[in-house]
Amino acid sequence: MSYASFETKEQASARALLVPLCLFMGALLGFPTLINLWYSFSDVSFQNMIGSFVGIDNYVAAVTNPKMWQALRFSLQFAVICTTIEVGAALILVFILHPLLVKRPWMTAILMLPMMVSPALMGVMYRLILNEFTGAVPVYLEMMGYAVNFLGRGSIYKTVVAIEVLQWTPFAFLILLTARQTVSYELEEAAAVDGATGFRSTFHILLPMMKPALVIVIFVRFIDSFRVFDHIYVLTGGGPGNLTTSISIYIYKLFFVQNTLGEAVAVSILLLLMSLTLIVVAMRLVVRRS
Amino acid sequence: MLKTRFLTAGAAILATALSASTALADITILAWPGEPAESAFRKVLDLYNSTEGAKNNSKASVIYFSQQGFKEKMLADVAAGSKEFDVMLTATYDVGLYAPFMTPIDDLVTEDVYKVVSKNSIETQKYEGKTYGIPTDLSLHFLYYRKDLIEQLNTDPAWKAKYEEISEKILGKKLSPKPADQWDWDDFIASALFFTKSINPDSPTRYGTVLQMKNLLYNIMLWQGTVASNGGNWRDKDGNITVDSPAFKRGLEIYKIITDNEATPGDSSTYEYGEANSVFGAGQVAFMLQWNAAVPEFNDATKYPTVAGKLGLSHEPAGSEGPKTHFHSLGLGINKNTAKLDEAKAFLSWLATAEPMKLYAKEGGSPPLAEGLMAEIAGDRPEMLLMGEHAAKYGFVMDGATSAKAMGIYTNMAENFTGYWTGEIEQDEAIANVVADMKKAFAQ
Amino acid sequence: MIVSRHSRIDSVAHFLRWVVFVAVALLVNFPILSTVLTSFKTNADINAYPPKWIFSPTLEHYRAVLASPNVNYSHYIMNSIVIATLGTIFAIVLTLPAAYAMVRQGVGRTWLLPIITNLRALPLIIFAIPFYFMYKQVGLLDTRIGLALISCIINIPIALVMFVGFVQDVPRELDDAAKIDGASMWKTLWHVVLPLSRPVMLAVFLLSFIYSWNEFLFGLILTTKNAVPVTVGATFFVTSRGIEWGPTAAAMTIGILPPLILGLFAYPYIGKSMLAGAVKG
Repeated sequence: MSYASFETKEQASARALLVPLCLFMGALLGFPTLINLWYSFSDVSFQNMIGSFVGIDNYVAAVTNPKMWQALRFSLQFAVICTTIEVGAALILVFILHPLLVKRPWMTAILMLPMMVSPALMGVMYRLILNEFTGAVPVYLEMMGYAVNFLGRGSIYKTVVAIEVLQWTPFAFLILLTARQTVSYELEEAAAVDGATGFRSTFHILLPMMKPALVIVIFVRFIDSFRVFDHIYVLTGGGPGNLTTSISIYIYKLFFVQNTLGEAVAVSILLLLMSLTLIVVAMRLVVRRS
Repeated sequence: MLKTRFLTAGAAILATALSASTALADITILAWPGEPAESAFRKVLDLYNSTEGAKNNSKASVIYFSQQGFKEKMLADVAAGSKEFDVMLTATYDVGLYAPFMTPIDDLVTEDVYKVVSKNSIETQKYEGKTYGIPTDLSLHFLYYRKDLIEQLNTDPAWKAKYEEISEKILGKKLSPKPADQWDWDDFIASALFFTKSINPDSPTRYGTVLQMKNLLYNIMLWQGTVASNGGNWRDKDGNITVDSPAFKRGLEIYKIITDNEATPGDSSTYEYGEANSVFGAGQVAFMLQWNAAVPEFNDATKYPTVAGKLGLSHEPAGSEGPKTHFHSLGLGINKNTAKLDEAKAFLSWLATAEPMKLYAKEGGSPPLAEGLMAEIAGDRPEMLLMGEHAAKYGFVMDGATSAKAMGIYTNMAENFTGYWTGEIEQDEAIANVVADMKKAFAQ
Repeated sequence: MIVSRHSRIDSVAHFLRWVVFVAVALLVNFPILSTVLTSFKTNADINAYPPKWIFSPTLEHYRAVLASPNVNYSHYIMNSIVIATLGTIFAIVLTLPAAYAMVRQGVGRTWLLPIITNLRALPLIIFAIPFYFMYKQVGLLDTRIGLALISCIINIPIALVMFVGFVQDVPRELDDAAKIDGASMWKTLWHVVLPLSRPVMLAVFLLSFIYSWNEFLFGLILTTKNAVPVTVGATFFVTSRGIEWGPTAAAMTIGILPPLILGLFAYPYIGKSMLAGAVKG
């Protein structure tokens, strides 16, 4: 009896410790979500900031606009391509560089620098170095006999992908390297026991052990590439045409440039629902796997 | 140009004197970012703060946003009732959009003001009969060209022969070189092809011209001289949308031909004002269409040694209606939500006098000066005479391009037309998208 | 024989690893390197063809950036420092007690923890619009504190995951000993857990600071002049009247330096925090 009440008291004070966090998140995220919901059903505009109820008009406008689907397709495709290349390249690099880095941890830091840079500033930097006339990269390639217009119409898509990949492969590399190093000791013992060598041990023992890390990396990189905004915004502004308009840039444009506030908010809500679905599915998968 | 009238303006002087007698507070001005106007405007503020502002006990300071997203942010801010700035930017192409958030300043526009800035430039700051801004900069387009290269093209027989050969091969008709001020759009295209190394290995420049094709509304303004010179307009007199007219198609094709033949740098689809200047300034192209603001830069031998002293200026190439140029003015008006209306008015009244405007012009701004003042400043800024002349002779404003919807329409055009030039969508589709968007916009 | 052949293969492999390392390091860091070099070049050297690697360095662009009357860059730097620091402190204050309660009493562990860790997966643009209106209403628009709150939200998921991982590693016996002495939960947290948390706190601080510093979207939308952060301020140099590469490069070099330096110390925690989320979250 006394034990039970003691426990309750403990739990009560534990709950008290959660209260600030819950209040904070509720006020700063719950409230905006409610505003979003209201706006998505109203004809709000900059001239009329309260708006009146218009039913599902905004949602109809949102889903019947082919540009939304185009932006969504861009984001999905961009996320799949970037994640695949980043994780693939990182995995290969982990196996090549691990023996080198395990003895010289400071060298890892050099590879990590790009992901410390703000993606917006990274975009501006690439604008500088890829410029056809003053940029270092095109000039050197030209000296070697290749004429490439990185920002030209044929290659701009590849360029924004390459920038994302070059900035974030280090992230995937770091996570996988950390995982690789943690399983190292266990692996050495296991491999010594069954006498497996190099290549075989890599695929049969190492990879399965790194699986949780792989899942995390894929998930995080997919999400981050899917919501890409910064470097594309400063590099192309979503163009030419709509070629590099991601869903985040699309919402920004609907809101600030086209002033179709209700539609912008409706797309936001749809995006929120999609993200939640994705998260739930991903969580299920992770839980089932483990 | 309009004749300026000389009338006494006792009322204005009285108003200024009255407002000066009360204690005023400091004001903040939101202005358009970018050199050389930015530095020039700062000098004007220094003058205000040391003279009239000191007398008024009201200092003025300026803030800038990034040029990218500038208008979007300003709109969101004024709509949300921001008091961050008292004086704000106005422009011909969006005065209708911002008018609900601004205080009209017709009471400041006295006869004396017309002696300082041209009357028709004040017209470009009006919306539905009310004036919203004191114009500070006139913006229009020139054909910038390398005098040395165009001259050689017109005199060198070998170049002439090559030019004829290229024009016949690619454009299907034999054209002969002409001086730049006699060009029509075919000459423009043919010259772009001629000065492109991949087409003419003997070309002294890598590309003929540099087009600005980033998905940005200002690039549409720069382009639409091609349309207006052939008689095109956004709408006809009855309000029908005429973006599907032959003039628009021809305008679109002019850029398309140059792009497809790679007579403009491959990166042009990400270019705006700054990139184009650096390409022309580095001697990589022979000519370009550009905003007037770049002129002082190209006369600066330390910045662009290749071009300084060789810069030629002309009106844009001619279409069936002769040459045309888009023009608009930028100006400063008053944020409706300001708590410092008197101070803002005092500043704008002062700004619309001779001394600050002359200083601004000397330091690199491009104010639309009235004739008398223009003559005084012409020694320092010869191209400003040309600007006044071009605005009067060739200037056009598209029908509907000052309405509240103009910004959105320009943005939509930029999206679709840059998409067409870069081969993302077909011309018909691009035009159809724009027409649909304009119908929607003007219906509301 | 066999041994020496092996060692020869080993040394060739070792050499190849070095080659790969150098190539990758150059490739991914090229824009940073190139920008830093550009920031020290004169305008003539910037426009030189071919690009110069050897040149007499100048500080003129740094002077231009820091002394620019038009762009108050040192103010932007200060903004970023204040915003990132405050945002990080808020996040720590909110999440450490919560992590403790979750691990020790299991409160909210099954629902709150997954909700918060998954926040990281939401596209932030969704909240940009309502934040704008909300901040306008309460006067937080264009204030450092307003952006610090955003930083805090961005950092809460990672801080919470790292603190949960940390509390799990604190031996329960320490708590129990304090409890027997009659200490309340608050006191235990303050006297036992907090002193032990210094290393993880440093890690959280470094990561949060870097993430806050690099935030762009909200800095773009929610500021006009007072609270403009460096990431947004640096793009001010890309103006309508021409891109001034020299000052832009100098501004960017200043803007990327703090996270780069902190990153040298912080990077191992990124890997650990992510994997902690995987294994323990």
